[in-house]
Order: sequence, then structure tokens, then C-alpha cells
Amino acid sequence: MEPRPRSFYVLAAFFTLFLLFLYGPTLTIAVLSFQGPSGGLTFPMKGVSLHWFSDLFEQQAVGDIWGSFSRSSVLGLMVMATTVIVSVMGGLAFRKRFAGSGVIFYLIITSLVIPSILISLGVGLIWSQSGLTVHWSTSGLGAQLTWTLPFGLLIMFAVFNRFDQSYEEAARDLGASPWQTVRFVVLPIIAPSLIGVALFGFTLSYDEFARTLLTSGSQNTLPLEIFGMTTNVTSPVIYALGTLTTIFSFLVIGAFLLVVWLMDRRRKAQGSDAGKGMV
Amino acid sequence: MERVHRRLKAALLVALRSCCTGAPFLTSDQTMTSSGIIHTPSKPSARALSRHSVGWLLASPLAVVLAIFLVAPIVMIVMVSFWGATEFSIYPAFQFDNYAFLFSSDVTYRVFFNTFKYAAITWLFTLLIGFTVAYFLAFHIRTFKWQIALFLVCTIPFWTSNIIRMISWIPFLGRNGLANSALMSWGVIDEPLEWLLFSDFSVILAFVHLYTLFMVVPIFNTMMRIDKSLIEAAADAGASGWQTLWHVIIPLTKPGIMIGTIFVVTLVMGDFITVRFMSGSQSANVGRMIQNDIGLLQYPSAAATAVILLITVLLVIAILLRFVDIRKEL
Amino acid sequence: MTTIPKIRYSRRSMLKAGGAAVAAAALPAPMVWGQAIKDVTLRQFGTGVSNLNEVAAKVKEDLGFTLEMTALDSDSVTQRAATQPDSFDIADIEYWICKKVWPTGNLQAMDTSKIDNYDKIVGTFRSGKLTPESVIAQGTAPHTVGFTSGANGTDFVAEESGWMTLIPTIYNADTLGIRPDLIGRPISKWSELLNPEFAGKASILDISSIGIMDMSMVVESMGEYKYPDKGNMTKEEIDMTLGIFTEAKKAGQFRAFWKSFSESVELMASGEVVIQSMWSPAITAVRSQGIPCVYQPLEEGYRSWGGGIGLSASLSGIELDAAYEYINWYLSGWVGGFLMRQGYYSAVPETSKNFMSEDEWGFWFEGKEAKGDITNPFGDVMEKAGAVRDGGSFFDRMGAVACWNAVMDENQYMVRKWNEFIAA
Repeated sequence: MEPRPRSFYVLAAFFTLFLLFLYGPTLTIAVLSFQGPSGGLTFPMKGVSLHWFSDLFEQQAVGDIWGSFSRSSVLGLMVMATTVIVSVMGGLAFRKRFAGSGVIFYLIITSLVIPSILISLGVGLIWSQSGLTVHWSTSGLGAQLTWTLPFGLLIMFAVFNRFDQSYEEAARDLGASPWQTVRFVVLPIIAPSLIGVALFGFTLSYDEFARTLLTSGSQNTLPLEIFGMTTNVTSPVIYALGTLTTIFSFLVIGAFLLVVWLMDRRRKAQGSDAGKGMV
Repeated sequence: MERVHRRLKAALLVALRSCCTGAPFLTSDQTMTSSGIIHTPSKPSARALSRHSVGWLLASPLAVVLAIFLVAPIVMIVMVSFWGATEFSIYPAFQFDNYAFLFSSDVTYRVFFNTFKYAAITWLFTLLIGFTVAYFLAFHIRTFKWQIALFLVCTIPFWTSNIIRMISWIPFLGRNGLANSALMSWGVIDEPLEWLLFSDFSVILAFVHLYTLFMVVPIFNTMMRIDKSLIEAAADAGASGWQTLWHVIIPLTKPGIMIGTIFVVTLVMGDFITVRFMSGSQSANVGRMIQNDIGLLQYPSAAATAVILLITVLLVIAILLRFVDIRKEL
Repeated sequence: MTTIPKIRYSRRSMLKAGGAAVAAAALPAPMVWGQAIKDVTLRQFGTGVSNLNEVAAKVKEDLGFTLEMTALDSDSVTQRAATQPDSFDIADIEYWICKKVWPTGNLQAMDTSKIDNYDKIVGTFRSGKLTPESVIAQGTAPHTVGFTSGANGTDFVAEESGWMTLIPTIYNADTLGIRPDLIGRPISKWSELLNPEFAGKASILDISSIGIMDMSMVVESMGEYKYPDKGNMTKEEIDMTLGIFTEAKKAGQFRAFWKSFSESVELMASGEVVIQSMWSPAITAVRSQGIPCVYQPLEEGYRSWGGGIGLSASLSGIELDAAYEYINWYLSGWVGGFLMRQGYYSAVPETSKNFMSEDEWGFWFEGKEAKGDITNPFGDVMEKAGAVRDGGSFFDRMGAVACWNAVMDENQYMVRKWNEFIAA
């Protein structure tokens, strides 16, 4: 190995500072969430305790943290499943040009770049003007899909851009129907990327705020609840909640990575190197 | 010198070509049409539906979602922007009052200027930081495993709550916050710095903090695809590190930069919550203006502002898309 | 301790709960529907001020049915009351919000003959006069939007018509909050908010209907202008008022604007701000962190606000009966005591008295010196023995109301100008 150039050390220092910048505030609130029972929202620490974490598990003066957490989890799973299915179908559709594919493509881009508050406002208006009741599982779900689907689709486009089609040809030559080709050849090959799509689908939904704001109805999702807490709550309990949701996010990512790793191992064991797509 | 120049140019040509055609990423039996969609030679099949029907069948769920939750809301907003409002309700009409008020108020122009200002400054910082970080990861970290590991370390905060990440700056930056106490105890300053919190500084800091990742990811992605032999060629040809960076790496990374730019610019332009929290409600961008109107039940006026914002954002994106073909770069 | 209340009764409040049972038993509660009413669920929403889960828990205990609480900020409250009538059964809103929402017909009028304690509701909410001699303050005084012409009325009538729009539940007199330790001299006028001495350390709330009233108090106090009616400004007056504040904003007078309860607490507790418009429980929240903070009575008087409960137009049958039962329970004293021990006032103070100790009643209502430590309903010590409530007794405070939070005829204009002020 050749020695590192000087620029390496400069850049490494820069990278370290960047990580500090990235994690600094999160660590700050993680520390503050261990405030003593009489501590406030800012330093100094008045003792160290788990008081605010245990407080989280008791009924709060206002709001419903655990209800919103379970709603967000369910909604996240719904968005995740829909995103995966619709993205795969969309990705397959876009492998060939069809009439109107350009329009849909630009709609996907629009969906990605449109300010979230517009979706919230527009969906909210449609629902209220047509006399429907907004609910997180209907209007909220749809509004969130406009944010997760572009990510899912762009990943699928990337995957299919790199997809070696000789596998499909082989399947067809062996007499597989189009459905069989997709089911037994294409899907297994792109499976690792689907994990990526699923991860995006879940976490983007789990953290989505603006698009859910006017579309979730009378019951809050977790980000809305957190936002509500920032207006009502004046104790470190909100930091404790922040720390817990961060840990939860880590667990979700960890679980996904584990699945990827397991699949990778199984694949290696089977000796195939197909479909090394990006995740 | 002449030779160096010629070799550099050759390297660049190769790079550009590969960048335009996406060649290194395609297998040999695929071709790319000018539109960037991949075509395989189609096989005649007896029961084949036309490719249009197949396409639409597969894309129909997507089309339905987009129609109900993207197109219809936009249509609705455009419609409502011509409606009228009372204290507590909105009524269908066709009037230009909302737009007239919007364009007649100099606050509108100031707020739009503010929005652009935040977008431009945030863009600059996220680009500089994002490029440097991606460059370090892609060219200075030698093993693939470490590259991915460090990359993941960068992306993890992205998966956690934005609101939490935002408000965690407040105890840090306040008059009696960590930053001020540290600076004062080191003797750098005597008086706490007031502009650390509730200022343009804190707004942009929060934006950079939230969105740098959107720059790092696409730039890193394109950099990883740069053929390392190009850089070796440049070095062999006698190019200095800076020359390589300027003439080879940056041109090849341009698509990633553009995609990152699209993300950062649209996220900042559409934001309404960061500005409110970090400026202590003291400054406004377009998103906040819309949200204020929504809060006060002035939906038509919110819709009119939203229409102008949407047009602005789409124009900016259209300009950016002239520099990059997203479909090719995936 | 800060204000995260959770269910945690001090021994004293447990003892009092015993007293409550006796008091509740003495009240004739209509139990027509018997067991079925236990299955009723009423959805209530409102601001975090009074939408407390503890009230819901007590409802379950005393009345048997379920009350689902959703706490929102005041913008969202208005929005939901006006645009999503199906999403709630009970709206817990302020009177100025009622002025906006009532004409939509989303709420139904309430028959005062079904309200047991109607006669005991303080005069402010009925005739508008706290005592027969009182002068009615400017702004959207609760009685002006408190009555409607009949069961299906969407108008407001001036006299006690027997049909109420909102049943008053909670109210208070607001003034400026200050940090005496950081100011170091007495503050006695609203105009101090714009005193350059506090440049970069002042704040005002960013809720237009409330903020404009604070502003008008300041403008009058500065001697800049005397409004014929602060509660109903002309366009010129709005321009002038916001002009003065825009200038101050550009000169760097304000550290931040706050929109929610907790923001105001943080600004004050962290020392970012030393003088600002503030709500009474926010003062106690700051104080309970051990930080000195005073709700400063001012020469020009208080800006007051009131909230009440409205019923969704779609309520009927057993749900409606449950709602009336809830209202009667609300006014029967437990909630009143619960709220008064946090520094608010109850609409029927005399029933609340049964749910407060003599010392608490003396401190919170009569303005007397506390004999022992004063704790809030959650057991946190609010005041030590010997303390006296800022501003004195109920009649001292509510009698010195200069204006009410208001919705003006030119409200839409004011809102637009307000947005410009924020963006300036």
C-alpha cells in the first residue's frame, strides 16, 4: 500500500467534523433525556436519571404518545407494502416505452419535487369539499405515497437499468410464461433491492410530517404528536421520546441490514451472483 | 505539456462518453435509446399484448395513486386559488382577488426573495460539504467495505425524526447554550453571541444539517461509478491532483451534483417548519406564508401562494433537468 | 418539577377526592339511560390548556362514559371546528374562535334550562358584567357571542336568550410576564414591551387575534393613540398599530415570536427573553423550574380570554344526553377546582370552592396570603407559604380587564397585515 497523501488527513479531519456536526445535536438531546427529575430542557444537568423515560410510559397531560406510535407503525407498514408492490409494477412497466410513459415519468418527478405542504393542502381540500372525513389510513396513506413512490420507483429504474435480461430470455426459451418469468426469475434477482425500497417506504412514512399534517384527521401520527408536544410540553420527556424514536429507527435499519446480510449469505451459499443491484 | 493536455482531453472524452451513454453500467446486449430507456430486442410472441397495454396494466396502480393524490390536489389548488373566503368558509367563485393581493404586496416579493436566499445559501454549503465528504469516501477510502460502512454512518441520521433533529439545536445555540458557554469559557468572546439562534444563521445551519445527506448520496453514487483507470490515466499524463479533480472528477460527477441540487433546492423551497422553529417565527419563507393562511382558514389565498410556489419550483427543476437526464443517471 | 402532569395524587388531593364523592352524590344527575351511557364515547378537542387527560379519567370515573381528548394548537382548533364538524362531538374553544365558527352551523345551541348551575355562572358570561357596576371591556367579550336566538340559531343575540353557544368553562386575565431578576426594576406599564432597554429580549405571541390586542394595549400605554374600540379597529388603526411594531421588529426589539405555550416557557426559562406576552400557567411552569418569573399586573389593566364547550351539531340521542351530563358535571366543581389550582378561573367559582382547601381558595381566588405551600393538582409546589397571587383577588383581576381577545370586522385585513408583520 502506498502511503496516504497529505490530502487524506485533511479530508479525514473534515469528515470527522462532519460526523460531529451530523450527530452532535442528536447526542445533545440523548444526554439531556437523562436529566434528573427536576431538570429542564437545557443544560445544566440536574442529576442523572431515567425519570423521563419512565414518564413516557405513563399517561401524559395531553395527547397519546403510544397510540400515535402504533398508528405510525401501522401506517408505515401499509405505505411500505404499497410502495414495494406499486414500485415493482411501475419498474416493470417502464422497461419498455409505452404511450404516456413520458407523462407518468414527469409526474413522478413532480411528485418528488412538489412542496409537501401542497399535497397536504390539496388532498385536505378535496376531502373536505367532497364531504369525506380525512383519516390517516386513507387520505394520509395516499398523501404519503406521493413521497415514497418516487423513491421506490427511482430505485427500481436503477435496478432494471442494470438488469441482465439474458436470465429472462433463458427462462422464456425454457417455456416459462411471462408471469412465471417474473415470479421465479426476476423477483428473486431483484429481491435485495426490494428490501431497500421497503426500508425507504417505511422510514419515509414513519418520519413524514408535512404531507400528513392536513390529511391525517383527528388522530395524530407520531411526527404530528411530536410536533404537538413541542407546543405543549416543557419537560425533557420530549427528548426522551426523541431518543427512543431514534433508537427505534436504528433498530428498523438494523433489522433491514440483517435481512440483506442473510439473503446475501444464502445467495452466496447457492453460488449465484445475479442481481447485484444497488440497495 | 502539449502531450499532457492531449491525454487529458482523451481521458475526458472517454469519461464524457461513458457518462452520456451510461455505457459502463449496461451489459453488452443492451442498448440505450436517446430517451434513456433501455430496450432489448423484442421477441415475437404469439399471445403478446401490445406493449402499450402491458405498460399501462403494470403502471395502472401507480397512475391511480398519482392521479388521486398528485394531479387532483394540484387541480384542486389551482381551482381554489380563484375562490373566495369568508372568516370561516370558502365559496366557489372565479376571481383574481387572491392573486391581486399577492402581487400587490411587497411582502410577497420579500418572502420569495427570502426563500431563494435560503435555497441558494443552503445549496452552496450542502454542495461544498457533500462533495468533500463524498470525494473522501469514494477516492480516499480504499476498501469497499469501509466505504459502505462510513457511508451508512453518514446516512443513519437521515432515518430519524427531522423535528427532533431540528429542535435539538436549540439548547445548543441559545444565549446560555452550549456553544456560547464553550466560546465564553475559552475566552473567544465576552458576550454571548445573539445571532447563533433565532436568526438566518440558525435557519441555514438547520437546513444544512438536515439536507447535506441529500447531496452526499447522489454524488457518492456517481463517484463510485467513475472508472478508476481514468484517474490513473490523468495522473500518468502528469495531471496534478487539482487538475484531475477539476478536469476529470467534477465533470463526471456533475449528474450526481445535479440530482443532489434538485433535492436540496426543492426541500428548502418547500419547507415551512424549519424556518418557523429556527428563526423564532421572526422570518418567513413561502411555505410559512402558506401555512399561516391555512391556519387562519384562508385557503384560497394559501392556494394562490401555493400555485406561484409550485410554478417557481417546477421552473427551477426544469432548468436543472436540462443539465441532467435523471433516467440515465440511476 | 415542570408541568408534565401525570396521575400522581398527593395525599391531600386523595383526601379531597373523598370529599368530591360526597359532593357528587349530592348532585342530582339524570341517569335516564342507565347502563347504556357507559358505552358512549365522546370525542373532544381543544387546546392543551384544558384538554387534559386527567379530566377524561375523572369523567370515566364519575360518569362512566369515555371522553377522547385531542389537544391542538389554536390555529388547528379553529380549523377543525370550522371545517371538520364530523371529527368531534365536543369542541373546547375560545370565545373569539366561537365568533368565527358559530355562523358555520357546525355547533348546536344549548338549552340553558338543562344546565343545573346556569344561575351560578359568573356575570361576565351572562350579562357581561362581573358585578352590576362593572364596565364591559372592549373586544369580543364572551357574552356578546355567548347566546343565540334559538335551538337552530346561527346568529348572536345580546340578551340571555336561554340558548347558549358555548358553556363557559375556563378563563383568565392575561398580562405581561417578566423576569424580575434580569430586569431589576419595577415594571408597571404595557409600553415597557417596546422599551429599547429590552431590545433583543422581548417577545410577543404570533397568534393574530390575541397578539393584536396586546399590541393595542402597548400602543395606548405609549400614548401614541387612543382607540375608540380596540376590539374593532379600522384599517387605518390596524396599519398604524402594526406599523409601530414592525418598526420595533426591524430595530431588533424582539428575540423571537412564540406560537405555543411551551415556546413561551422556554424563551423565558432560558433567559432568551425577559419581558413578553404570556399565559398564566406558563408563568407557573417557569417558576416551578426554580426560575423567578412574575405575571406583572399593569396600570392599564388586563387582556382577558375565555373558553367554553360547544356541542357538535351532529350530536343527538344518548350522546347528546351524555354531553349535557358532562357539561353539568364540568360546572359542578371538580374541574373548576382542578383548573383553579393551576391559576385559571372557573365559570362557577362557588362550586369549585368545595373542591379546594380553604388555603387554596384564599390564595387563588381571594388573593390572600398563602398559609402553607400551594401545590398544583399534580403535587408540585407552586408557591411557598406567605406568597400572594400576582394581581390579587378574582375581583381585582377580572375587574380590571381592559379588553378581550377579539375577532374584528376587519379581521381578514388584520390577518393579512399580521402576516406581513411576521414576514417583515
